[in-house]
Amino acid sequence: MRNNAQHKQPESEQDHQLPAMVLSRGRRSECLLGYLWGIAAPVICTLVDWPLRHVLGTASILMTYLLGIFLVASRYGRGASMTASLLSIPVFAFFFGPPTFSFAISDIENIVGLAVMIVVANVTSNLLEKARLQAEIARQRENRTNALYRLSQALSDAQNSQAVARIAVQHIHDDFAAAAVLLFPDANNQLHYPCAEPLRQSLRGVNLAAAQRAFDQRTIERHSDPNTPIYFPLEYSQTMLGVLAIQFVTTPELSNPELTTFFDTFRNLIAQTLERLRLTEQANNASLKAETESLRNELLSAISHDLRTPLTRIIGASTALVENSDGFSEEEKLDFNKVILEEAQRTSELTSKILDMARLSSGEIILHQEWNTIEEIVGSALNRLEKNLGTRPVRTLLPDNLPLLWIDAVLIEQVLTNLIENAIKYTPAGSPIDISAELLPTALKITVSDYGLGIAQGMEEKIFDKFYRLESETQQNGVGVGLTLCRTIIETHGGTIHAVNCPEKGASFIIHLPLHEPPQINWHEGMGA
Amino acid sequence: MTNKANPLILIIEDDPQTRRFLKTTLCNRGWRVIEAENGKTGLSMIKSDSPDLVILDLGLPDIDGISVTQRLRQLSDLPVLILSARSQEQNKIMALDAGADDYMTKPFGSGELHARLQALLRRVTRSISSSETFETGQLKVDLVRRKVFNAGNEVHITPIEYRLLSILIRHAGLVVTQHQLLKEVWGVEHIHDPHYLRIYMGQLRHKLEVNPARPRYLLTEVGVGYRLVDDVTA
Repeated sequence: MRNNAQHKQPESEQDHQLPAMVLSRGRRSECLLGYLWGIAAPVICTLVDWPLRHVLGTASILMTYLLGIFLVASRYGRGASMTASLLSIPVFAFFFGPPTFSFAISDIENIVGLAVMIVVANVTSNLLEKARLQAEIARQRENRTNALYRLSQALSDAQNSQAVARIAVQHIHDDFAAAAVLLFPDANNQLHYPCAEPLRQSLRGVNLAAAQRAFDQRTIERHSDPNTPIYFPLEYSQTMLGVLAIQFVTTPELSNPELTTFFDTFRNLIAQTLERLRLTEQANNASLKAETESLRNELLSAISHDLRTPLTRIIGASTALVENSDGFSEEEKLDFNKVILEEAQRTSELTSKILDMARLSSGEIILHQEWNTIEEIVGSALNRLEKNLGTRPVRTLLPDNLPLLWIDAVLIEQVLTNLIENAIKYTPAGSPIDISAELLPTALKITVSDYGLGIAQGMEEKIFDKFYRLESETQQNGVGVGLTLCRTIIETHGGTIHAVNCPEKGASFIIHLPLHEPPQINWHEGMGA
Repeated sequence: MTNKANPLILIIEDDPQTRRFLKTTLCNRGWRVIEAENGKTGLSMIKSDSPDLVILDLGLPDIDGISVTQRLRQLSDLPVLILSARSQEQNKIMALDAGADDYMTKPFGSGELHARLQALLRRVTRSISSSETFETGQLKVDLVRRKVFNAGNEVHITPIEYRLLSILIRHAGLVVTQHQLLKEVWGVEHIHDPHYLRIYMGQLRHKLEVNPARPRYLLTEVGVGYRLVDDVTA
């Protein structure tokens, strides 16, 4: 599939019309004007000298012609001045050189004068031409330097290869009057036409096979037909970064060494930027990978520790029962069985938490949002934790007539369950837990507070980190993923969750859930169906 | 239904260890147990052995649990308890909507299992005896006169609220899915309008519960539906 991929040419030619090249702008019309002045100068001199022909000597008249030629030379260069001087000879001979009204010149003085005039005209125009050329070259150099400066400025802001391509195409269009496109390789080093919307200045018709050759062989691919694009490999420090395809509108002047150098610098700048971006991306990927790797290791060690602890107890208790059943009293056996049950439950809880985390942290949280009441969800969470709560007092302060929330009830229940579980875990048995809600103008604020020791100073944010666990709770199990999970869920809902220490209380977890336009309720229908 | 004293329970479950645990526990409680290790055998055993109750695992190797439930419902009205793993949330709801009576999430304890089975069997006896009153805890509902009493005092409830309550009473102890309730109370066109349900359920709780945020009778099974607890001790 890498044969000629012809992309549609734009319909209107206007659209594709390019401004004249900066480097030769207006040169042709300038030239024509010069020759016209070359013809006009002798004519004007004749017209001026004719009334004065009896006052002035021929030498003075010759001087006026010389002045005309000189002026033309100074303004329009050699061609124009040569025209003027060659035209001046017959005109002078005809009108002023005796015998007048004949092209013959009898006077030796006038012949010498004419000869001197031609030589002087030639020399001055040569000198002037050289000066002009130098000025022109200086101007071109300045233009090129400016162009390179603008390009490097623009490229330094580019954050990705698409931006580089865009900038490159625009600048090539402005500075070379050429349509261009940057082709980047995919993972298999196959070049593709960019998927992004092409710019007005982009080159549309590209021969991908030729481009691929340029890429593979690292050579410039050009066709004998000047109307086909040229493919330049973009290479920087031995790395192939892509191919630049250019279609010059005028015949490429790349034979001019200075222009070639300019163009090469242009290409180099583009390649260099691409390489810089590639290296940055590589570095980012590497650090991300390292981070993920270390997270995974942390998780694995946390999980294996947390699973092994209850399993050790289960295996210990059950082997004791199986191998030495007769040696224990009924009471002891019951004790062992209780241990097995508790530890198995703990393992089960942990497993489901890990499962949830895997589901949520894979980045694919799909919210099943419905209209729900927070009262119902609080009730369900408390019911679920009935056993864990035991006789611990739970105070629920939920005002009547709270609005419906547009939330995923299963996930929000999980958040509340996690928060209540935490409160149970980290506060002394029997200390109360408060759950309250408060209606704010744009959000519902839900607070879960306990009466424990609170959160250590400065740790209020850290506890939401993955795998963080409150210190000194050696006997407590459970990978510290609960709060991370909570935050992920709440933030996916467009809400916030944070922890504070409340005076006279312990830790408070405060959730803000955004309010939505409530659903239409057809009370009549509701009553009547 | 032949032996009322010892109900016959059919376990359709592919994992032998779970079957073993279920059989031991159930036999220990005095129930008779037959086993099937896949959906096909299970369905044919329903025809041949006419059990009193079915315990159906959702993750069967041959037919998925939802299809088993549907085919089973074509054969019989017998109570069905679903066993589901956590990853089968959606299938669980679909199976309930397809006609299963209740579910249990693995892993579960024998006490929980026993309570569920009791509730399921009570449903059968209730539908046969069609009792005139329903009582749980302080709550008493006169099904003939359509009156509700809480701690001896009559509670005024609207017709819609009563309809909701009566459906839950019909399935007392069992979960009733959101779809079922919406369909039965408001009609099929409101099946995707759970906010009606939330509002009326909230009103009902405020009338019947001491603390609506920590209900004793009308429990929410978030993401599934509602359950009226039928064995609240007063």
